[in-house]
Amino acid sequence: MGRADSLVKLAWAYGLHQTRRRITRQRSELTDLLDTYAADGIRALEPAERERHPGMVGCINCGLCAFAAGRMGRSRLPDVAASYMRLYARLGAASSDVEGDDPDLGAAAAACPVGVPLAEVAAIVRRLSQG
Amino acid sequence: MSPSSAHDVCVIGGGVTGAGIARDLCLRGLSVLLLEKGDWGGGTSGASSWMIHGGPRYLEFDWDTTRTSTKDAGYIVSIARNLVYRVVFLIPVLPHDRNNIERMETAMEVYDRFQPLKKAHPHRRLSRAEALQAEPGLTPDLIGAVTMEEWGVDPHRLVYANVQDAVAHGARALNHTRVVDLVRDGGKVIGVRYRGPDGVISEARARVVVNATGPWSPEVSGMAGVPVQLRPAKGIHIIYPHRISNFSISAESIDGRDLLMVSHSGFTLLGTTDDDFYGDLDSIDVLQDEVDYLLQGIERVFPTIRRYRPVRTTTGVRPTLYKWRRYEDELSRRYEVIDHAGEGVEGFVTIAGGKLSMYRLMAEQTSDAVCRKLGHQAPCTTATRPLPGNESDVEPPADLARRCGVPALAAVKLQTRHGSNAGKVLEEGGTGRLLCRCEPITEAELTFATRHEQVRSLADAFRRVGLAGGPCAGAACVMRAGEVIGHELGWSASQRFEAVREFVQGSWLGRAPVLGHAGWVQEEMAQGAMRGLKA
Repeated sequence: MGRADSLVKLAWAYGLHQTRRRITRQRSELTDLLDTYAADGIRALEPAERERHPGMVGCINCGLCAFAAGRMGRSRLPDVAASYMRLYARLGAASSDVEGDDPDLGAAAAACPVGVPLAEVAAIVRRLSQG
Repeated sequence: MSPSSAHDVCVIGGGVTGAGIARDLCLRGLSVLLLEKGDWGGGTSGASSWMIHGGPRYLEFDWDTTRTSTKDAGYIVSIARNLVYRVVFLIPVLPHDRNNIERMETAMEVYDRFQPLKKAHPHRRLSRAEALQAEPGLTPDLIGAVTMEEWGVDPHRLVYANVQDAVAHGARALNHTRVVDLVRDGGKVIGVRYRGPDGVISEARARVVVNATGPWSPEVSGMAGVPVQLRPAKGIHIIYPHRISNFSISAESIDGRDLLMVSHSGFTLLGTTDDDFYGDLDSIDVLQDEVDYLLQGIERVFPTIRRYRPVRTTTGVRPTLYKWRRYEDELSRRYEVIDHAGEGVEGFVTIAGGKLSMYRLMAEQTSDAVCRKLGHQAPCTTATRPLPGNESDVEPPADLARRCGVPALAAVKLQTRHGSNAGKVLEEGGTGRLLCRCEPITEAELTFATRHEQVRSLADAFRRVGLAGGPCAGAACVMRAGEVIGHELGWSASQRFEAVREFVQGSWLGRAPVLGHAGWVQEEMAQGAMRGLKA
């Protein structure tokens, strides 16, 4: 009974939906979507960032880059790659941690055993933390 | 045997349902003993998809269930603000999917009617180009997408928050304590016999004993000589230690089931499988076939998934009610409060079935049944009474970080676990030095958890504070964590090393099915460090 009743109601809703689609002018809802969730830190990656993303989140926090380079702002480089790069939705609340000078990211990347592109990681963390 | 204690109610099972029942009964003024054989939330609750959702799938079966579960999700979101966060799904529609985009949007339009009950936003519909702009990693084959909002939650902290509040209102709660028998007087259950972590057997008397042990329910009810029949269902998840996308993504498996790639606060959970399980509930393996099944399903809508490095798997068994039929989602959501007086056993109640999203309601209805048996008249208050850490708003994380000398990100994460009590945790625990840098976790928090939150092992620390849950999988932090816990509990050097060895060995079972190149690099380094120490 419950199932039959539910399916009838869904069929009615489907009819309403189709009618509404025919008589209503369609508009883009992407901007609304991104605006709605901006406060929750839910933002789109750029296509170029998406392509490089698997490598950028590959850090295993072995700490070798810390020997090759210093800190990014107040944060150790392995922490930036392992912790901040986890794309916490609330990275904006932690922007003070990564403000300041960059270390020698080229030397750090050369020391990485799993090939994390640390310069790109630093750039995306800065972008996301600035909101 | 140590002397017995006496309580109004003994609740067996420290998952979210058992903890919720203990809290509910304590708030109604009853004295409660809560017993858990492992750690709080260490069974089915912790192996869930970490979501409080309203259940759009029930729209095909019973709209009242959608309304009820959405309403209850709204209560949980209100009482546990620090533990929840929005999870926004992109549901891409491909040419040969079971539902075309019009049907999919119709379902979301109906679901939108219930979304305000859980403080969620209505759906959006995206064209192909818009969907790819929102998530460039989606397959270019898609026709379009709709969105759907749910809530993510840390189930381990949710369970513990319920335990914590129960204790604050008079409950006695013991983890690592296994019930070995029920005490009976003729046809009546009058208490339990249990073995504590030190191996000592104790006895507790209770006017009512509640069996809230999830998939272990048949085993416990067997002690009372009454049957509880379940159809246990095994589910696995693959865990990635970072957000793959800011959006969660839904996909269809090869056999037409819904799979989810869920973006949680700092990790991605991909699942789940749903298979009948007949094995040992205390020893569940993840099979390579199950991993491949999930990857195959998600790869169809998110083609680069295999380029990401999973760090571990989780597995658990759902306590699905028994029914002789094909698995459907309709089957997995039902629950039942069983008063065994009808079978000639007084003083014994079982709560069977159900799921995380409805735990509060299940706890309320079970507590109602217990109160009826005891003739106790007190209303349930768990729908509106905040869980610990939610009594007031949290301070800005940057202020907390500055005041306590920790990184702002550590303050953010601390507040997600402790809410407005975060400052108290840092102040009492001592040093704000980072212990687990991936999460990040301070030594102060682990010290606090050991002193006040019943952490007795590194695995307990994983559940309570998220230790070793990040990209390093514990390689960089478990040794130091063993030192911190060992210092608090008075462990010797060999006990500390043994605790670390036990944790690494336990983790390995979940890591082995998904180790790739980088995973092996990490294992080599971690094992090297261990061998170095041992030498």
